[in-house]
Amino acid sequence: MNAKKRTFAFSVVGAIAMVASACAAPPAPAAPAPAAEATAPPNPVGELAGQAKEVAASAVMTAMPPKAGGSAARAIELAKKYAGTTLNVTWEAGLQSQDPLLFSAPEFERLTGVKINVIETPFTELFSKAVADHQAGGGAYDVLNYAPTWLADLADGGVLEPLDAYIEQYMNKDDLNDLHPTYAKYQQWKGKTYGLWDDGDVFVMYYRRDWFEDDKNKADFKASYNRELTPPKTWQEWDEVCSFFTERGKANNEYGCAIQRTAGNTYLWFYEQFRSNGGRFFDEDMRATINSDIGVKTLTDMVNANKNMPPGVEKWGFVEVLQAWMDGKLGMIITWPPIGRWSEGYGLESKQLEWVPKTKVAGKVGYAVSPGGHSELAVGFMLGVSSNSKNKEAAYAFIQWLTSPEISGQRVKIPFALRDPYRMSHFNDPDYAKLWPNAAEYLKVLQEGAATGLADLGIPGAREYEEALDRAITAAYSGGDPKAALDKAAEEWNAITERIGVESQKAAYADWQARLGANAYP
Amino acid sequence: MIRREGYRIRYPSTPINRMLASIRALSDKRKGKYVLVAPATVMILAIVLFPLLYAIVVSFQNIDARTAVGTFVGPKNYLDAFRDARFLNALGNTLFFTGVAVTFELLLGFILAQTLIGHLPGKRFIVPILMLPVVIAPLIVGYTWRMLWDTQYGPINQVLGWFAGRPIELVWLANPVTVWPAIFITEIWQWTPFMFLVLLAGLTAINPEYREAAEIDGASSWQTLRYITLPLIWPVMAVAILFRALDAFKVFDIIFALTNGGPGTMTETISLYAYSVGFRNFRISYMAALTLILIAIVSVAITFLWRRMSADQERMA
Repeated sequence: MNAKKRTFAFSVVGAIAMVASACAAPPAPAAPAPAAEATAPPNPVGELAGQAKEVAASAVMTAMPPKAGGSAARAIELAKKYAGTTLNVTWEAGLQSQDPLLFSAPEFERLTGVKINVIETPFTELFSKAVADHQAGGGAYDVLNYAPTWLADLADGGVLEPLDAYIEQYMNKDDLNDLHPTYAKYQQWKGKTYGLWDDGDVFVMYYRRDWFEDDKNKADFKASYNRELTPPKTWQEWDEVCSFFTERGKANNEYGCAIQRTAGNTYLWFYEQFRSNGGRFFDEDMRATINSDIGVKTLTDMVNANKNMPPGVEKWGFVEVLQAWMDGKLGMIITWPPIGRWSEGYGLESKQLEWVPKTKVAGKVGYAVSPGGHSELAVGFMLGVSSNSKNKEAAYAFIQWLTSPEISGQRVKIPFALRDPYRMSHFNDPDYAKLWPNAAEYLKVLQEGAATGLADLGIPGAREYEEALDRAITAAYSGGDPKAALDKAAEEWNAITERIGVESQKAAYADWQARLGANAYP
Repeated sequence: MIRREGYRIRYPSTPINRMLASIRALSDKRKGKYVLVAPATVMILAIVLFPLLYAIVVSFQNIDARTAVGTFVGPKNYLDAFRDARFLNALGNTLFFTGVAVTFELLLGFILAQTLIGHLPGKRFIVPILMLPVVIAPLIVGYTWRMLWDTQYGPINQVLGWFAGRPIELVWLANPVTVWPAIFITEIWQWTPFMFLVLLAGLTAINPEYREAAEIDGASSWQTLRYITLPLIWPVMAVAILFRALDAFKVFDIIFALTNGGPGTMTETISLYAYSVGFRNFRISYMAALTLILIAIVSVAITFLWRRMSADQERMA
């Protein structure tokens, strides 16, 4: 072989190796995580909630007996027919999966004989692994955990099994009515039900009540802004209060507010503030309008707000905000529900929450919906059945049991489970209301947040729209022009729309608005 | 029944013996080599050529999350790629990253190798310690340096603050001015030792008599470096550059951990973009087209570099 041929062969082999790695068959499902110590679960209950000890401990040990004729009891009867079967269930890796590993899966197996194999997967891959498995015709998964905004893509792609027939046959219809009306709107796509709601994720504004009630703070704030120091109800008030506390505490490393700004989820806070300001995602021709005057104002305000937040907030994620908040360094934050429980120390002794910083704010926290009066119904989780599953009925039985009022009511109280109230029975649960001194107030705000909240954009290509917007926002955080950044994002949005199909997207967007109503645009 | 006919043995006419006889016949005609390489060839075709051909087919289709069975769309994905500002931006970032990182790694590696080529006390401890970064997984390096670059709690800002006499609050990984230097420092910290080790081996292999002769002839240090050391080390250096350039061109881990391509798409490389397109958004056909374009670019670059190096070697020989 001469040098020329040898060189060519060398190049081609190298190149082929890259293609092989890029285009290999979809990976086999990840091996299940090592079996957790389910036999001797740690006591997950915090010191502050004496009465909660019983509730949470019992939730971890065994499920409460299901009500006869309820969805949980019916699911158990149905699943018993499949005793000995193993169901493969995808779940977000890490803390999220402690619920099925320690509670749901062992309990379901004990009650029905159906074994649950929890396949822990990073959040971003819950989507791609499900699609890859479906397209390969694999049937590697029976139950799929997914974000509600992916429903359209998963349903259109044939990944999810319609559940209407199962619901009709096996579910107690009263339990459907128990679902909060907002979350009930999410479960359908093109007239069919593709999932059962499983997590009431809604942003909450947590604030330091002691800072707001401090007499000197109140007097100084009134002198500066000519109004009372109260939890902000508008974004302008948020900026003012944040600036006030930051000026006051910066020397002690205390700041008025912080919101996670790192790439990945920062679009959620834009979605919230943009729509509270009156913004809309598309016009009637399905052209993106995120770069409208309202969009530019929103992003400019977000960039300016960073100046009152801790230095480096542009790289802060959930954990950084949590760390500073629990350390008592922040006056206000807007984030997901678990922080409300952890702020009060609920369950922080549990092994699963060892990584959570010890709280210095217990008993000092107030709750409110986000400024503007509408909290983002940020992400959330749904449970569906894979269309390739060989055990569809058993898989459905498992998700009906998980989301039934009795079982879900226990799951939302497990300290290390990251599922939050989404049923009326959760919001009205007297046991939950006793978990810490102002837990009832917390539940009330979660319920209000659900009622007035704003749903993430849930149309085909939702992930791509989100990522394009997220890139624009982080570009603006780093000093880029907000208008130019949003113009670029709008161009990307239009390209996504055109690629998927303008007319079909128009119909999907209209359907999303009609279904969500005031939860799409206030 | 086995019979001997002269010096040949005749075996009974069973299927296996007939097959073995055929192989012997091939061998007799010097064709047995094909039989011997056949298994390896079939394996390569199955695991290398098939995916390549499949990728080419897929790149002309429209498979994505909603479309499992693709239909033929012609060169649309390729045309889209060349109109895709994000792809072109990622390509530019990749070339920029490769050029700067490999240049600095080469220079620093060469300086280190020159420094440590002679007798140095403690050299046997210094060299292994210098090699430590190379054996760490790049993803771990990325996440570790991400903590070092942290604005509030990172030691880099803290040390700078000691010198400045005031708190330094540089947001290294979100500031457009500092983000690339932060990435380069991380990358160069990890991979300079590789360059150093290869070049040290090359320098060690040079016969010291050449340098001594140059010294006797009155050559300056620069002249010795320029006309003795560099030409002799070039074949080794060229291979090191090629290895590092190929590795840097497909960089993913370090940037994924440090910035994930941000802020915006300022540090997004082709690998990160392809990952996002294929494994986050599941646009499989478009990802196949992007990857094939990348292959074409890499193939041309490798061919060019290899020919250039071969020519240099022949000239020096």
